[in-house]
Amino acid sequence: MKCRTIEKWLSDRIDGELSERKIKALDAHLERCPSCRSYAATLEIIQDEARSVQKPEVGPFYWEKFTSKLKADLSSQKQGKRLERPFVKRWRWAGAGAALTLLIVVGLYFLLFFEKPAPAVYVFSYEESLDQIYQEIGRDPELENMFNLVVLASIGESLEESEWQDSAGFQGSPLLWENFSEEELKLIESEIKKEEKIEEESNES
Amino acid sequence: MSNSMKGSMANRREDHLVRLAKRGDVEAFAELARCCQERIFYSVLALTKNHQDASDLTQEALMQAFKSLKTFKQRSSFNTWVYRIAVNLTLNFLKKGKKDGPRQVLDESFSWAEANEGISPSPEGHSLKRELSRKLQEAVNSLPLPYKASFVLVVFQGMSHNQAARVLGCSENTVSWRMHKARKMLQARLRPYLEGR
Repeated sequence: MKCRTIEKWLSDRIDGELSERKIKALDAHLERCPSCRSYAATLEIIQDEARSVQKPEVGPFYWEKFTSKLKADLSSQKQGKRLERPFVKRWRWAGAGAALTLLIVVGLYFLLFFEKPAPAVYVFSYEESLDQIYQEIGRDPELENMFNLVVLASIGESLEESEWQDSAGFQGSPLLWENFSEEELKLIESEIKKEEKIEEESNES
Repeated sequence: MSNSMKGSMANRREDHLVRLAKRGDVEAFAELARCCQERIFYSVLALTKNHQDASDLTQEALMQAFKSLKTFKQRSSFNTWVYRIAVNLTLNFLKKGKKDGPRQVLDESFSWAEANEGISPSPEGHSLKRELSRKLQEAVNSLPLPYKASFVLVVFQGMSHNQAARVLGCSENTVSWRMHKARKMLQARLRPYLEGR
């Protein structure tokens, strides 16, 4: 066994880290090696000296003050920084996100697969309306008679109005003549004169 | 009640407090901190040798732990996790201090020599022991940081290699080798004071 190995084992033995088998081998070596015995003795002295060091004393309230300061520092740090939050709080946003996603998915599903047809707007045509009115009136002869009279009177009024409009419109509009060219105006004048002449002749005859 | 039952109840209590603390319960976190703050403080003090630095770094480690609780997957105990934060913070702090130049303030009230006064039987022996204690303190302080951290956790805090490895974020084998190398370095530096003892 080399002395260098024994020196390492001596250190391990002082720390209580050497196996029983190695301790036996170590002791056997020390019996026959004065150099290693001397080294072992030196290590023992150093170890005893170091172990005999007493803990330096601190004041009676030292640890109380230490803990108070620590708590104060921790509290101020806690206020300045968010620490890990409890499970429920930590997952609150995750829950809200999941709910929102679910809402969107359900909304899209109903929107895409449950689309209702737009309500049909039924528009009565003018002819259909009149047909319905005629059918209703046709069931009552007296009402039909009255209706016919009203319709005839209405037609008469329309004719009179159109005649008035024709005459008034043709002659009354001041802008009517503005739209004709000179040649057209001469033609119209000659035609009017012809008509007046024919009318005069017929009156004389 | 058996030890395993007590351990199981303590684990359940810790799980419960961690859950509450993750929700921002300051009281629950303070209770968790109470269980480990003293050990962390003394480890940091052994590394920095300065009371104020040790107190500030312990507070800072606990604050960082509170801030990062949501990343704590409970693969290790809460104590180990906070311990690791504290040791990393301290090592970074000391590395930065080395770049900035040697630290001026060394709290002599926590000197090992002072703490061990009255142990030696004779004035001559007392003097030798004080000298050795002071030299040991200097030698430990001069160790490279990873070796010093391993030595503090294993020797001063009584951690196993496995526990120290978890805190330091390395393998047990690494801690074992660092302890061996640290002892070799201490032995070399203290040789003149150890001869004839």
